[in-house]
Amino acid sequence: MKIAVLLKIVPDTETRFQLNPEETDVITDRTTEWILGPYDEYAVEEAIRIKEKVGGQVITVTIGSGNEEKSIRKAMAMGVDEAILVESEGLAGSDPLTIAKVLAEQVKTLDADIILAGKMATDTSDSFVGPAVAQLLGIPVITEISSLEVREDGVTATRTASGRSEKFESKLPVVLTADKSLNDPRYPKLPDIMKAKKKPLHKKESAISPRGAITQIKAAFPPQKAGGTKIEGTTEEVVSVLMDGLTTKEKIF
Amino acid sequence: MSIAVFLESYQGKMAKASLETLKAATVMAEKLGISVFGIIIDDTVDTLVQEAGKFGVATVKSSAGVTIYHPTMYARIITNATKDASAVFLPATVWGNEIAPMVAVKLDATPVSDIIGIEDVGTFKRSIHGNKIHTTVKAEGNLVVTVRSGVFDLPGEVGGSASNEPISTETVDSDNFIKLAEVLVAQGDRPELTEADIVVSGGRGTGGPENFAQHIEPLADAMGAAVGASRAVVDAGWRPHGEQVGQTGKFVSPKVYVAVGISGAIQHLAGMSTADVIVAINTDSEAPIFKVADYGVVGDLNDVVPKLVEAIKQVKAA
Repeated sequence: MKIAVLLKIVPDTETRFQLNPEETDVITDRTTEWILGPYDEYAVEEAIRIKEKVGGQVITVTIGSGNEEKSIRKAMAMGVDEAILVESEGLAGSDPLTIAKVLAEQVKTLDADIILAGKMATDTSDSFVGPAVAQLLGIPVITEISSLEVREDGVTATRTASGRSEKFESKLPVVLTADKSLNDPRYPKLPDIMKAKKKPLHKKESAISPRGAITQIKAAFPPQKAGGTKIEGTTEEVVSVLMDGLTTKEKIF
Repeated sequence: MSIAVFLESYQGKMAKASLETLKAATVMAEKLGISVFGIIIDDTVDTLVQEAGKFGVATVKSSAGVTIYHPTMYARIITNATKDASAVFLPATVWGNEIAPMVAVKLDATPVSDIIGIEDVGTFKRSIHGNKIHTTVKAEGNLVVTVRSGVFDLPGEVGGSASNEPISTETVDSDNFIKLAEVLVAQGDRPELTEADIVVSGGRGTGGPENFAQHIEPLADAMGAAVGASRAVVDAGWRPHGEQVGQTGKFVSPKVYVAVGISGAIQHLAGMSTADVIVAINTDSEAPIFKVADYGVVGDLNDVVPKLVEAIKQVKAA
């Protein structure tokens, strides 16, 4: 079975950002730690588990701007066999539809049975490329899955949507996007880290050009909430002060 | 020209996120001086159409007789209904997030996901890096916009009525093999985390999973709240991932957020600091959660929570 994973490399979710002087974006520099997209890491892990169970090959597809190789090698150390990297700063910062088109263009050449992706990019907060790639390839999609069962001719996947649990069945090929509860990603072992250095990383170019349909014109820190009011005292006192606030001032009850 | 809004519903019940999305679409439509029409897909649609009318929608395009959700079919119905619209708004729910990209591809439109504000026509506020940064983006062309839950107010009831324009239910291509085989409705009657007006969350400071049953759940039920959890608690396996609030969990924006035994790591604050009122209960008076708390109770949750539950029950009974 051939499994493709759409893999985005993002700044660490613990990063404390600074704004650029123009205040149009955050600054990423040499101090920025780049990691596998947290949800993409579940997709990578799931792809490797499918390969380990039924055999096959796992190939990641990434659009990057020069910060990706270290993380891609980590995915390889986890068990990814090959990687495709389209290096283009313009495309990497492009609108989600252009990114989806570039990914679909690359995935098409792989003839994959299953295409996995994270449910969301934690940097740009987009949940766009998974379903968009499915639509561009004319194949079905099941998003935000929390369990997956793979058979020779299809998959069964479950997810939670608006508090309901939904169970889907699909034939192959199919696009699946991973939620956190899908699996527990493994830590690569040292021999696998060494082996990963020699796995093929194919640098590709794309004929697709960015559309410039979306421009980010401003970035700012969210307004700080004026909190900081502490209530101290005996249990009776603190509960009384809190209840007074919730009933009289906030009118919650 | 007009703006389309997908009014998501399930078994005849309109999602709260749909009404918030309607509000967002109306804000943009008013700036353009154009109208908003709704799209409803469900088994029976009459009551839903009436509800849309009550909130000021003049026209609804509806597809009745649809008993089961199917992403490709929904995307096709919405695309066909919005060919002449300048923008399509969908709630950023699981369904909305799944359908919107397909609609954007079909219309070759410009996608703007998960907006938290509208500054002008085509100029939106978003939040990136897990709510740590707010951005303003300018989008050109026909738009497909998804709207984050809990950010926009509900539209005012104007008591109007909507005309219903049935649209044909598209059959699904035989080459698109997917079906929703089963839907299991969540047990219990607590509200859904992202839609709840009040959220009560527990962190590692609760001491263990048994204390969720003993303290967090009774407090949530007394307040009519949804239950949330910190990442530490979910990673420790105390609570299911669906309850995680924060950057790798859910973003919530309730009227009241009660953080019990949660220290307030940056990635947790990112998921809840837009709540109107934040209550924190923690023994450590230096915990970062107190910096954002409107009511920062320094105390042991084992003492404070039972007394609080009792007090709430008394007030509610009165």
